[in-house]
Amino acid sequence: MKKVWVIAAREYRTMVATKTFLISLIMMPLLMMGSMVLMTLLKDIGEVKHRTILVADASEKLLGLLQEKATIHNQRIEAQAAAAKTDGADSGSDSPFDSANGELYTLQATPQSQLSDEQRLEISDRIRDENLYAFVEIPAQILADPATMANTTDLRVKFYSLDSSIASARQWLSQVINELVREQRLQAKGIDFQLVQIASQPVPVVNMGLVNRDVDGQVAQAQEKQGMTDIFLPLIMMMFMFMVIFMSSQPMLESVIEEKSQRIAEVLLGSANPFQLMAGKLLGTVGGSLTIFAIYIIGGWFVAQDRGWLDQFPFHLVPWFIAFQVLGVLFYAAIFLAVGASVSQLKEAQSLLLPVWMVLMLPLFVWLLIVRDPNGPLAFGLTFFPPSTSTTIILRLATGQTIPLAEILIGLVLMIVATTIVVALAGRIFRVGILWQGKVPKLSELARWAFFG
Amino acid sequence: MENAIVLRSVTKSFGAHRAVDQLDLTVPSGSIYGFIGPNGSGKTTTLRMILRIFQPDSGSVEVLGNLQGTTADDRLGYLPEERGLYKRMKVRELLTYYARLKGFHQCREAIDGWLERLGGTTWVNKRIDSLSKGMAQKIQFIAAVVSRPQLVILDEPFSGLDPVNMETLKDAVLSLRQNGTTVIFSTHDMEMAERMCDTIFMIFKGKKVLDGSLDEIQARYPANRIRVRFENHTEEFPQLPGIRDIQRVGRYFEFQCLEIAHSQSLLKSLLEQRIVTDFRIVKPSLHDIFVQIARPEMVNGELLTTNEVST
Repeated sequence: MKKVWVIAAREYRTMVATKTFLISLIMMPLLMMGSMVLMTLLKDIGEVKHRTILVADASEKLLGLLQEKATIHNQRIEAQAAAAKTDGADSGSDSPFDSANGELYTLQATPQSQLSDEQRLEISDRIRDENLYAFVEIPAQILADPATMANTTDLRVKFYSLDSSIASARQWLSQVINELVREQRLQAKGIDFQLVQIASQPVPVVNMGLVNRDVDGQVAQAQEKQGMTDIFLPLIMMMFMFMVIFMSSQPMLESVIEEKSQRIAEVLLGSANPFQLMAGKLLGTVGGSLTIFAIYIIGGWFVAQDRGWLDQFPFHLVPWFIAFQVLGVLFYAAIFLAVGASVSQLKEAQSLLLPVWMVLMLPLFVWLLIVRDPNGPLAFGLTFFPPSTSTTIILRLATGQTIPLAEILIGLVLMIVATTIVVALAGRIFRVGILWQGKVPKLSELARWAFFG
Repeated sequence: MENAIVLRSVTKSFGAHRAVDQLDLTVPSGSIYGFIGPNGSGKTTTLRMILRIFQPDSGSVEVLGNLQGTTADDRLGYLPEERGLYKRMKVRELLTYYARLKGFHQCREAIDGWLERLGGTTWVNKRIDSLSKGMAQKIQFIAAVVSRPQLVILDEPFSGLDPVNMETLKDAVLSLRQNGTTVIFSTHDMEMAERMCDTIFMIFKGKKVLDGSLDEIQARYPANRIRVRFENHTEEFPQLPGIRDIQRVGRYFEFQCLEIAHSQSLLKSLLEQRIVTDFRIVKPSLHDIFVQIARPEMVNGELLTTNEVST
């Protein structure tokens, strides 16, 4: 057993005492949560953009109203921008300044309310030259009753610009024009628009957690669920599990390939048997993975404390996370170890590992479906598919919904059995493969090593 | 312990290929035993069986008094041919790791001793990939011997070394024998094997073809080369009976006879033609014997080795 510890200690040091490890610790969350981090950064450095839009209002009834709406919108945006500058990123506003909507609109009328093709071309050229942002054509019959019209395509408002279809200006205009048209139509029918607005006021449906007993045996009040937490906490926990497995298994592959190609394996096998060697390597890797977990969890705790999010910190997930992390790391590290022993170069391992990656990443493709229905058939199925068990269970648990304890325990037992089998088979492949020279073995050959030694 | 290694009728196959075939070998304790053989002859497989990395299919492998098992023996040290080192580890860290793997935990003094002896005290905190090939080879050697093993297996230990470092390492190997360590020394350098080994063992196509002291081996391969020096320089020779080949070696000519009995008639013929200043019968070197065994010859359109031709 002493030899196993000696090997594990070296493996652990090799994994964590490197610059690569430190860089990975910082880079992995950035890469994984890249878009979220980028959006946060953009929010802080956002600036107000001025958009000049020409409006050809053939109905000759909407432009003035639209300009009024634009003025109100611009005042709101400027106020938010000023507040954001004064208070920093945390403005305390209900709708914090968001650069995605940080656009000021100037709506100008075209010389004629009806445009010819030549005029459209001329305005398009001005947009291409960046003298204008966009132009809009409002049809003459926009306020007509659609029920009486044979062809509703005549009601279409056309928005011409270089920007994409999800441009904020088009979305804003669409919303405002529809609001105005609705108001005009209601007035035409003699219905009080103010009344309709009051009647249409939405009733908030608050999402609550379940009621529990507290430690004193008293019934504790249910907590209101945070929409963003419900979505992002499971995502973060799942990505965290994926990252820990990835960051722990990848060095194992590189380490075994180095030992094989540099003929270090021969020296090691002259000192320890394949079981001791493999056990030491896996133990070191699990130790490394727990270090990653500890660093992130401590870091996360400090951030949560600093931001006042401690009440949302998922302490209750920690024991499950550790159990499924250890099993997940052992499961995948054993596969990587077997693959590493079967090849001579890293690039040869890529093709063998592609299906492994696909399976590991499976929950990442369907996470939203699982979050929407954590007790649905997809979540249930992936829980009992050992390559996905660790990530799926942690994703389900992090949704805050009640996951049957029996399912978690069955998943745990299944994972223990599957990991034991994978480690045993990987050990057989490792024993033969580590001294194997020459071409990369085919899958059939690997299977022969795994089952017949 | 009289014998460090005893192999009895050992056979090992990989699929249809029989790498080692009914091999018997006895290596006395405290000796330097030379392992020679062409590439792919079964040398590495035999060494791996001694190291417990492979188990024989049949026969028995007894190392330092223990019959084969699955547990690696801490009393063995091994230096593989080139490489065998973690490139990104520092010298002391690596030597400590290898020593601890052999169960030798209080190794600092031994490491310092060997580094000083091989002139490597300044490398102790250097990374392996920053060392020259010669330096790395010395570190590899220290890694094999630092745990004070009773049996050391050295595979091409002098590879990549300049003559000065080669002498240093040779002295180190000889000192191991003085301390009672058994050394198995696998090499393609026949001259070094002749100089260092008490006994030489040659494996070819999985079978033992030579085993004994250099004198014993040479006695089995009678001399058939005669080295001659003439007073006047010459290149041309008339037809000489019983001579297979003539080669110039420096200021000498080497005549390869079909049988050594032809030496007398050769001398007589040469004396009739030229003034002979030196005439000596040369014993076959290990190199000659190795080549004679392993060199392929064309027989009936097929390349066969001498060994196969004779059998």
